[in-house]
Amino acid sequence: MTGVGDGLRVLDFTWYGVGPITTKYLADNGAEVIKVESVKHPDGLRLTPPFAGQQPGLNRSQYFGNFNSSKKSISINMTTEAGRDLVRQLVPHCDVVAESFRVGTMAKWGLGYDQLREFRPDLIYLATCLQGQTGPKAGFAGFGMQLAAIAGFHHLSGYSPDELTPPHGPYTDFIAPRFGCFALLAALDYRRRTGEGQLIDLSQYEASLHFLAPAITHYFATGAVPQPQGNGSARYAPHGAYRCRDESGKQRWIALAVETDEQWQALLAVLGDDGGLSRFPRRVDRLAQPEEVDRYVGELLADRAAGEVVAPFQAAGISAYPVQDCGDLRTDENLQAFGFFASLDQSECGPMPYDGLAYRLGRTPGCQRAAPNLGEHTDEVLSGLLGLSPADVGQLREGGVLQ
Amino acid sequence: MSEAGGPLRGYRVLDLADELAALCGKMFADLGADVVKVEPPSGCSTRRIPPFLDERGGADGSCYFLATAAGKRSITLDLEQANGRELLARLAETADFLIESFPVGHLAGLGLSYEALAAGNPGLIYTSVTPFGDLGPGATWTAADIVGWAAGGMMAMMGAPGRPPLQVSVPQACFHAGSEAAVASMLAHLERVRSGLGQQVVVSMQAAGVWATNSETAFAALEDRSLQRSGIVPAGGTRSSLYRCADGYIQLLIGGGMFQPTTTGLLDWAREYGPLPAAVSDIDFSTWTPARNQAGDPGFVAGVAACESAIGEVLSRLTKAEISRRADENGWVVAPVATMADVAHDRQLEARGYFQNVTQPGLDRELTLAGPFARLGASPGPSPRPAPGLGEHNADVLCGELGVGAEEFARLQAAGVIGSAPPGQMRPGTALDVSRAGAHR
Repeated sequence: MTGVGDGLRVLDFTWYGVGPITTKYLADNGAEVIKVESVKHPDGLRLTPPFAGQQPGLNRSQYFGNFNSSKKSISINMTTEAGRDLVRQLVPHCDVVAESFRVGTMAKWGLGYDQLREFRPDLIYLATCLQGQTGPKAGFAGFGMQLAAIAGFHHLSGYSPDELTPPHGPYTDFIAPRFGCFALLAALDYRRRTGEGQLIDLSQYEASLHFLAPAITHYFATGAVPQPQGNGSARYAPHGAYRCRDESGKQRWIALAVETDEQWQALLAVLGDDGGLSRFPRRVDRLAQPEEVDRYVGELLADRAAGEVVAPFQAAGISAYPVQDCGDLRTDENLQAFGFFASLDQSECGPMPYDGLAYRLGRTPGCQRAAPNLGEHTDEVLSGLLGLSPADVGQLREGGVLQ
Repeated sequence: MSEAGGPLRGYRVLDLADELAALCGKMFADLGADVVKVEPPSGCSTRRIPPFLDERGGADGSCYFLATAAGKRSITLDLEQANGRELLARLAETADFLIESFPVGHLAGLGLSYEALAAGNPGLIYTSVTPFGDLGPGATWTAADIVGWAAGGMMAMMGAPGRPPLQVSVPQACFHAGSEAAVASMLAHLERVRSGLGQQVVVSMQAAGVWATNSETAFAALEDRSLQRSGIVPAGGTRSSLYRCADGYIQLLIGGGMFQPTTTGLLDWAREYGPLPAAVSDIDFSTWTPARNQAGDPGFVAGVAACESAIGEVLSRLTKAEISRRADENGWVVAPVATMADVAHDRQLEARGYFQNVTQPGLDRELTLAGPFARLGASPGPSPRPAPGLGEHNADVLCGELGVGAEEFARLQAAGVIGSAPPGQMRPGTALDVSRAGAHR
C-alpha cells in the first residue's frame, strides 16, 4: 500500500499555527515535509506548554507536537549566507515551499517566490500571513486572536453586544489551514496537468471570512449588522445548552436543537411531559417565544442525567449531545470509535498524546508519526538530498550554519 | 459548459450534501470544478436556512444558501424512486467526486453505496461527511450545528461560568466539517492521479471540531486539566484581552517580545492623559515572559495589572477608528473587534478587491459574496457565479450531458423524478466541455 503523499516533498518554513497545520495534512499522509527551523529562532510553540512531564524543553511541547506530527526537522541558521545557500540547494528537490513569516522576510533572504523559482521553475510556493501579501495591512503581525477580532468572530460571540465571550484561542488558526491546504492540493494538480507552478497568497483573513459567508451576504443585502445572540436561533427552538447532571450528580450540560413539530413531540415524550405540547404546539409558537421554551425545557432537564437523555433523544430523531470539555473528549466513545486520539512515540519524550485525523481515507489511510526534535533530521536531509559528507556537515555545524 | 478557469477546471463534483458539508462543494466550485448540486425535488434543506433576504423567508432568499451554493449548478432527482437512483448512478459514472452527508447507511440502503457506484466508476472519490463518524454509537445520530459544536469541545470553552456555554452566532461546526471534507477529498485525489483508483472518505464533524480547540486536548491528557469557559470579557482587568473603547471593543495582548512595542506605546499614550501609578513604571516588559506572568510573582502580576488598567483607561476615551489609526502609524498589534459593518468597509479587503458581486437571476438583484479564499497566481478561480435556481440545470445536465432524450425527460418529469419545473423554463442543453481533466481515467 502506498501513501497518498508519497514522492511529494515540502520545504516548510512555517511556524505557530496556520502554516504547520496546513502542511501537516500532507505529512500525515506520507509526504516528506521538512521543517526548516533554527535553534536561535525556534517555532514559538516549542516554548509553549503543555510539556511532556511538565518539563519545558524545545522538544517537549505538545502544543507544538500536535501541529507538527509526521514532519522532519532540520536546523539552519537563516541569518548566515551559507545557511540560505543550503536552502537554495534544497529547493530543486522540493515540490512545495511554504512560509508564514511577516511579508518580505523571505525576499530579504533571497528566498521569495520569484527568487526561488529560478532554482525550480515549477515550484509551488505557499505564502501565508494574517491579511495577505499585498495591501495596506500586509505587514500586520499578530496571531489568530487578533485576526478573529478583526474578521468579526469576536463580535458575533456572546450573550449580547455587551457580554462578549470570544471563541477560545487563535480561532482563525483552525480555519485558514483547510483553505490553504485545499489550494495547495489544487495547485499540485494544476502543475501535473500544465507543468506550471505558482505562488499561493493565503490571507488568513480572507479565508476565514468564508466561515461567516451567510452573514456577509445578508449584511450587504439588508444593511442590518448582525449581533451576538447567545444561543438564539431563527431556525430552532429549543436551541442551546441545558443544565443536566452527570451520574454522580455533578452539573453537566447538553446541547439540544429542535426544529420540527415531530421532534418537539418526541422530545416531550422522551421526558414524559404532557404540558409542553399545548403550551408551545407549533414551531412558529416556539420560535416566537424562545426564552419561555428555554425555561420550560430547562426545567424538564434539570433533574436528568445527561447520559440518560442523549441516547433516547437521538433514538427519537432529536439532535443532542453532551457539552464535552477536552477531558471528556479524551474518553468520548465516538471519537474513540473513529480512532481519533493517537499515542505516538516521540524521540525525546516517549509516548505522547496526539490529536488524530478528522477524516479517514478508506483505501489509503494516513500514517501519523510523532513530531520531530529540533534538527533531528539535519544530517539525514543534507546527506540524503544534497550528498554532503559527514565531514561537510561537521564543518557547517562548526561554522554555526546549522544552529 | 462554462469557460471558467481555476486549477480544478474540468473536474465534476456531485454534491448531495446538506448543511453538514455545504462548504465542501463551495470550495471546489471556487477553484473551478463543475459542482452539480443534486437536490430532492422539494429543494435542498440549505435553501431554508436563515438568515433570509427578507424577513418572510421567501423562496430562494436564504442567504445561507445563496452564499454556500454560489457557483454550483442544480439538478433535482427523487432518490426515493428507482428512476431517480438509476439517473444518479449514471451521473456518478461521469463524476470525479461525490460528496454526501445523509445519515450513515442511507445511500447504501438505496443501492447507492460507495461500492455500488465504484463498480461503475472505480475512479470515484466518495466523501461521506458524518456528525460523529461511522463506527461508534453515534454513527446514526444527527447533529444540528450547535450540537456538533458541543461535541467537538469548543462550546465548553465559550461563555461565562454559571451561564450556558455558547456557540458563535453564525454557526461554525458544519463549516469545519465541510472544509475538512474538501481537503480530505483532494488528498484522495492526490493518490488517485497515480493509482487511477478512487475510494471512500469519511469525515467526522465532531473530530473536525476538536481541531479548533487549540490543543487544549493535550493539557487534558498531560496535566489532567480541562479548560472551562472563562467568562465575559472584559471581566475587570487582569487576564482580559478585550478592552472597552468608546464605540465597541479592542483586542490586544499586553506583554513582551513582539507585544512590547505595543504595550510600551500604549502606556506612553496613556501618559499623555496624566501621570501613571508607580507600579506601571516598575515593569520592564523586556523581561516579560508568559511563564513569569503566570508564575504569580505578586509584584510583577500587580504591575502588569496596573498597566492593563492604565491602558484600559485611555482606550475607553477613544473610538476603534482613532485607536486603529494610531496603531497603524506605530505598527502596534492592536485589533478592533470588528462588526460586520466594519468588515464590509475594511480598507485592507477593499484594497485587495475582496468582496464579489453577482446578479442573482431569480431575484433580479445584486448580491455580495465572500471573495477568493486564496489567491492562486497562475490559476485564479473563475469569476463569481450566483447560486442556482432549483433544478435550473436539469435539462443541461440530464439531456445535454447525460443523453436523456426529450421524451424520457418529459416522462421523468411527469413522474416527479426530476421535479416539475415547467419545460418552458428549461434552457436547451448547452455543448458539453468534454475535455475531461481527469488524466487518471
